[in-house]
Amino acid sequence: MILARVDGNVVTSMGHNSLIGQTIVLCTPVDEAGANAGSPFAAVDPLGAGMHARVYVTTDGSWTQDTVHDDHSPIRNQVMGFVD
Amino acid sequence: MKPGKVIGTVTLGHRDPSFRGGRWVMISPMGGDELTGKNTSGVSPQFSLVAYDDLGAGVGDEVLYVEGAEAMQPFDRPIPLDAITVALIDTYKYEPPTQ
Repeated sequence: MILARVDGNVVTSMGHNSLIGQTIVLCTPVDEAGANAGSPFAAVDPLGAGMHARVYVTTDGSWTQDTVHDDHSPIRNQVMGFVD
Repeated sequence: MKPGKVIGTVTLGHRDPSFRGGRWVMISPMGGDELTGKNTSGVSPQFSLVAYDDLGAGVGDEVLYVEGAEAMQPFDRPIPLDAITVALIDTYKYEPPTQ
């Protein structure tokens, strides 16, 4: 799982069908001190994370396939929860 | 899923038969500097990659792409593929807190 901070979102109208209706957020990997620790990535966010929320993200595609109910979905990252 | 900018297209002459009808685009991954507009050169220092594309991404488009085994998921036939575009970005917002 990746510890990350939500820094934005992505709006798309043309993509794989499994993305329809999904909120896509842009996250920056951070270390425990909160400093940037990598290149930003996009993730599907069913939990509704707000700006600059600290979250942990799974990169397991099969888990995300269950979330979007599509076993041919190529999506990878998904927000799993918030870090208090 | 990672953001990237399409900087070119690739045409394969001799290729694996399972790639028939495939379209390939050259993607330059977008890092923090590219997303915030600090680097407007259009190409990031990260390595560019070639990804399968059936969304019709043109040069200059910003896309979300996926690397790894998940790239093979949309296909019902075995295909040796590890990068595919999954979305064309209309707009995005990226505002990291100023540290």
